[in-house]
Formats: sequence, structure tokens, C-alpha cells
Amino acid sequence: MITPTISQDEIDAIYPQVADIIADALGCDEDEVKPNSSLINDLDAESIDFLDIVFRLEREFKVKIPRGKAVEEARGELSEEEFEQSGVVTDAGFEKIKGFMTEVPADRFSSPMKSAEIPKLFTTETFCKMVIREQQGA
Amino acid sequence: MSEETDNSELFADGLSGKNAIVTGGSRGIGRAIVERLAGSGMDVTFTYLGNEEAANEVISANPGLAITAVKIDGRDSGAVNAFIESVFDRVGKIDVLVNNAGVIRDNLLPMLEDEDLEAVFKTNIDGVFHFCRATVPFMMSKRSGSIINISSVSAEKGGRGQTNYSASKGAINSFTKSLAVEVGRRKIRVNAVAPGVIETDMSKGVRDLAGDEIISNIVLKRYGLPSEIANAVWFLASDLSAYITGQILSVDGGFKM
Repeated sequence: MITPTISQDEIDAIYPQVADIIADALGCDEDEVKPNSSLINDLDAESIDFLDIVFRLEREFKVKIPRGKAVEEARGELSEEEFEQSGVVTDAGFEKIKGFMTEVPADRFSSPMKSAEIPKLFTTETFCKMVIREQQGA
Repeated sequence: MSEETDNSELFADGLSGKNAIVTGGSRGIGRAIVERLAGSGMDVTFTYLGNEEAANEVISANPGLAITAVKIDGRDSGAVNAFIESVFDRVGKIDVLVNNAGVIRDNLLPMLEDEDLEAVFKTNIDGVFHFCRATVPFMMSKRSGSIINISSVSAEKGGRGQTNYSASKGAINSFTKSLAVEVGRRKIRVNAVAPGVIETDMSKGVRDLAGDEIISNIVLKRYGLPSEIANAVWFLASDLSAYITGQILSVDGGFKM
């Protein structure tokens, strides 16, 4: 799979709307939402909040973001077995996800990483990139 | 009492100006629910599948009430998604969802055909999944909502010839409790009303077949009325039940095993 590149300008262009949606969905102040805030660790989001945020983004930007798409795209050409085994991300998978989620500060990646912990990496910019990818794909 | 007490605030249902969707609203219990909620000042959109004449009759019989009828098949998830989105776009929020649409195909187990299972499960279970799945995100984003699923006394109490129907309603009871847990944090309440034997076309077969036996098992010695189910739904839709979620409310005149 070839992943289209996303420029910082593209992210900056939609960032205010995305941050606004995240603040609204999580019931926090907009000031608390930073580009690299981890939604789960920094803003106390839960998995059901992700669904709410994605739903709001879909309506705001008129795109369809398939559930689980972010992890699927991060996996790239790796098969599920090559990406994770027994719930733990493989070394190859770890490098893949690190290369894909360039918006996440490097010190937040620690190996071994459980698959269930991947959503903890998601930042505000991760959601911006989700929207942009769907806009590019449309 | 020396002074009159004003209880109007205590008993305010908080429904005026809110919006509701009722599935299967053209006849029987569904129609009574539509009329009860619309009579409380709600804008009610109800669905129907086959009987357009009955659907139009609900509207023409209630001039002045905000009632809209939409023909839709709840078994079709794509159609349900589009319908919910269209209602949201029209009215701006969905406050109440009543999953009432249901079918019955009673027969003794060896006599049940595959299509009898499919018809009952697809409408009574899949339909509820489809409507809830499409509606919950809209309620989540508003952080409010009340979902009421119409179950049945037969979910809890065995009924001869009702293996398929009672299984479908048992599933709805479990679904109701699980969804209540999932969405409670977003201030969405999910409850069910379990009617006993109600005077509707749907129950006519069983009433004709075993009327005396049924009545002998009902503590109040009579069948229920659609309006009595509608009153329970109204209560669960309203602010009066603000602290109730994940419950199955039996409205069955005291149905005994």
C-alpha cells in the first residue's frame, strides 16, 4: 500500500476544527488540546470517545472513516501475523507504526508494545491525518 | 391542607419540543406510543413497513400533532443509517428512540420453518441493532437520549409455540442491559418495556386460541391496552425516569407462570 504523504500545512489547515471537535467531545477546554496531546493519557479519553470523535469528524468534513482504519493503514503491507502476535506488536510492526505515526513524539514509543496500547499513542494530529487521508482518498 | 401545592414542576415530563423516533408506529402498541409522545408535545417520526393506509390514518387522526411517517425496512442497515441521518438533518437532534417494530411467527418448534426464524430474528433483533447503532452516535454527541426497546413478557416466561419469538425478546432484554452500560457515561439511558398480552391485532391469534387460560394467569384478570404500554414508554422517555437505566419494566397486569 502506498500511503500518500501529508504535509504540515495540510494538518495546520484543519487543525483548529479538529481540536475544537475533540474539546467538545471530551468536554475539556480548547486550550488543553495540543497538537501532540495523547487523547487517552493527557485528555482522559476512553475508547467510546474515539467513536464519538470520529463520528463528529465524519460529519464535519463529509468523509467516511472506517473503524479500525488507522491501525490497518499503519500496518501497511504487513500481514496481521507479521504485525502482531498474541496481542503484542512485533519488531517489524513496531518499526512500521513508528514510521507511520510521525506526529507522535518518539519517546512515547516503547517496545514491547501491546496492540491494545496503540490507541494511547493517538494525538490530535493523528485525527487530523485520518481526515486528510480520507479526503485524499475520496 | 390550607394552601394549594403547585406540583407542575414535580411532574413535568420535559418532553415538549423534543424529538422521537418510533419504529413500527402505524398500528397497535406502536401507534399508541406515537400518539402518546406526540401528545406530550414531541416531534415524532415513525416508521412503517407495509401498511401505508394505516400510517396515513395515524397522521390524519391526529391533526395538530407533529407526526411524520416514513416507510422503511429496519432489516436493511443501510436504509436505517440513511433514515436516521435524514431525521437528524431535519430536526437537529434525536432525543428518544423507541424500538417497537416486531413480528410474530408462532408455531411449535418442529413446525417452525427457517423463514419463521429468520423473519422474527431479523426484524426483532437485527432491526433493534440497526436503529440503535445508527442513533447512538447522534445521542452521544449531544450527551443525552433515552432508548426504549419493546420486549415481551414471553422473554422471561415460557410460551408454547413461541420459542423463536421469546428468544428474540430475551435477546432484546440482554441487549438493553449491555447497551445501557456502554452508553451510560454519555448520559444515554436504555430501558425496555415488556408488555403482557395486549389487545392488538398481533396478539389476536393467541387470545383466540387460549384466551381463558391466559386470563386465568393474569392477576388483574384482563388484557392490557396499547395506551397502557404507551404510558410506560412515555415515562421512560421522560425526565421523570432520569435515574432509571438498564431496566426491563413489565407492564403485564401481573402475569403468572
